[in-house]
Amino acid sequence: MAAAEGLLVRVAGAQTATKNTLVVGQSSDISKLDPHLSTTVNDIAVTFNLYDNLLSRHHDGKLYASAATEWKLVNPTTWQFKLRPGLKFHNGDPLTSADVKFSFERTYDPKAKVNVMSVLNTIDRIETPDPLTVTIVTKKPDPLLAARTAFYAGQIMPKAYFERVGADEFNAKPIGSGPVRFVSWVKDDRLVLDANKDYWGGKIDVDQIVFRPVPELSARIAALLKGEVDLITKIPPDQMDRVAKAPNTKIEGVLYGGLYCLSVASQKPPLDSKPFRQAMSLAIDREAIVKELWRGQGAVPNSFVVKGDNHYDPSLPPLPYDPNRAKQLIKEANYKGEELVIETGVGFTVMDREMGEVIVSMWKDVGINAKLELLEYSVYLQKIREKSFKGLRWTDPTSAYNDPDGMMWRHLAPGGPNAYWFRNPRFDELGNAARFSVDEKLRDEAYKEMARLELEYLPIIPILQPMELYGLQKHVDWKPYANQMMEFRRFNLKLKRA
Amino acid sequence: MQGFAGFLTYRLVRMLIALWSVVTVVFVVMRLSGDPVPLLLPPDAPIAEMERLRSEMGLDRPIYVQYGVFIGQVIKGDFGRSIHFRASAMSVVWERVPATLELAFASFLCAIVVAIPAGILSAIRRGSTYDTIVMGVALVGQAAPTFYIGIMLILTCSLWLGLFPTSGRGDWRHLVLPAVTLGAFAMASIARITRSAVLEILRADFIRTARAKGLPEFWTIAKHTMRNAAIPIITIVGLQLGNLLGGAVVTETIFSWPGIGRLAIQSIYSRDYPIVQSCVFMTAAMFVVLNFLVDVAYGILDPRIRR
Repeated sequence: MAAAEGLLVRVAGAQTATKNTLVVGQSSDISKLDPHLSTTVNDIAVTFNLYDNLLSRHHDGKLYASAATEWKLVNPTTWQFKLRPGLKFHNGDPLTSADVKFSFERTYDPKAKVNVMSVLNTIDRIETPDPLTVTIVTKKPDPLLAARTAFYAGQIMPKAYFERVGADEFNAKPIGSGPVRFVSWVKDDRLVLDANKDYWGGKIDVDQIVFRPVPELSARIAALLKGEVDLITKIPPDQMDRVAKAPNTKIEGVLYGGLYCLSVASQKPPLDSKPFRQAMSLAIDREAIVKELWRGQGAVPNSFVVKGDNHYDPSLPPLPYDPNRAKQLIKEANYKGEELVIETGVGFTVMDREMGEVIVSMWKDVGINAKLELLEYSVYLQKIREKSFKGLRWTDPTSAYNDPDGMMWRHLAPGGPNAYWFRNPRFDELGNAARFSVDEKLRDEAYKEMARLELEYLPIIPILQPMELYGLQKHVDWKPYANQMMEFRRFNLKLKRA
Repeated sequence: MQGFAGFLTYRLVRMLIALWSVVTVVFVVMRLSGDPVPLLLPPDAPIAEMERLRSEMGLDRPIYVQYGVFIGQVIKGDFGRSIHFRASAMSVVWERVPATLELAFASFLCAIVVAIPAGILSAIRRGSTYDTIVMGVALVGQAAPTFYIGIMLILTCSLWLGLFPTSGRGDWRHLVLPAVTLGAFAMASIARITRSAVLEILRADFIRTARAKGLPEFWTIAKHTMRNAAIPIITIVGLQLGNLLGGAVVTETIFSWPGIGRLAIQSIYSRDYPIVQSCVFMTAAMFVVLNFLVDVAYGILDPRIRR
């Protein structure tokens, strides 16, 4: 293959994309342009550029002013946002507090038939004392309300246009206030967006952004190497060298704002035993997984709180590997050699199957008998809903709102997607208290204690925080986001021109 | 012509029955295979929201009621609304038809232009080096998986030589690699069938007679052999065209070609019943119409079949 790469270099050098267009190659096409109909990463990558949110979370993981210039907590249940004056939608209509109220209320209105109901439903009512002021009253204190406005469901839609054309027409010809405006979409082929010259944050550094679905990985990489696309997503670590070593392309990585984990989805023996679960965790050599399988592109987590999130506890050590202690605990647990089943998708997350295989063999070394079962994606999702996994399931929980509430508590609270059997009165008490408190000190202590409880009982076993790899043309200066959003703004996208 | 009209009517009725069966099988299989609702909502969506969406899509009704409603709509040409795209399913599928036809016919053209002459020559020069090479290449073309051929073509023709774009749909240059990839299998099987069909006829008595009476070899082949060898060739050509229309899933995925095959496979994953049903119906309809045309061609070529 070495000769091939050499030849390839020559060709790649000859061609680069037009520098006034940014072509993004995603692994699949978008499905909807109405921002409240979709929660998939590919769709949001587009809608976060078509629309503005009140606040926006930048590459550094922090919240910044966007359509709102300032925001404050007036009292524990009341938030006030001041809108940027002079905001305009792409059709020239002004963006006012009425549009914000309309958009937010739509997200939790059962009659609106949207799919993002669980984001802003902590809101009790929204008041608009003047066109530039939005006052949001929550049902209970909600420390994450500001963060929620920067999440999906927080995109602001034009009330007048939407009411005039209706939901279907809006989805076909969307209008927002973001840095790009909708031009055309040929499904499974290309979505074309033009720069909004009047954007409040300044015109972006290109005239046009094109999103192209290129589902096949090798074709996606080939398109990047050949200069047909400028930015591609989802490069597995074993392919990164092809992109990094080519003369015109580079790799940008970011630690995923979530964790790859094994969820203990059943209470069947031996999984009902605390020492046994601890043994399972201790028997996994996470360092080796990061180094060998991921070629160093990942980090060993120290708890079920994501590094980079609020209330991450840096004093905890990375999860240890101790096969001898594991063997001892297995003895204590009276394990009789029952077979464990790990259920996983294939390619649902990068290297899910490979990691499952490695873990099965690591467990074998300490005497745990396990096997891997591969599921088709939709079967896997159905099992999530029915909570019908046989033993362990592979999962990649992400921390919505960059907070343990969106990770530890969202997933492990009663009824949560990973709450299969685990209930601990102290954990529940803390989780509830922190969810409804705007006292950051109280929350910090609560989450640190919850993280330790989680590590003791291990209802979910964190394995890895992966590095997500993007391929870019060298002349494109842009940094990926931990939450997989793709925000293209004047301040973060620069094209070097010869 | 009475016989021929009867023959046509009989084929037409069979066509309709085939379409009805296809639609029914897809309906049942899709409903057995899983629930689309969890795919549309975030994993932590409350049960109430799932129930709401399910009843909104009519999925809470008994399956025979759903089937009745479905068949009623299909007769009117309405395949329902796409769950994923929130638009009429047939319209979403129709948007892809031009891309699929373009690719299918380009591959088809590639295939027959290369395969039929190659097969005939192979038959005439049976046992020669030429024959061995052509049949060897055909064997590889039939045996190599489509994704392998596709990726190799991208690497060689597109990345190394820079001749064609790697993927996407655009001008004719975008069409070359996917058409060759998709056409490879058809090309190989048409060449092989052509060769054996021609060989079969070349052994027949009337060919010996034609040669004996001094007819030039060209006319022996062109007139006597080809007309008689045409039935198996037309059969395989028709079948392959059907395959090209419906079987482009892998090629369309590798080359990001916005056709029906890719839409169908994505819709299967997302359990978008209306789209899957429309895609299958569309593909089945094209297949059945093709078969019908092939049957008609038989009837024209060989009057014995009409009876």
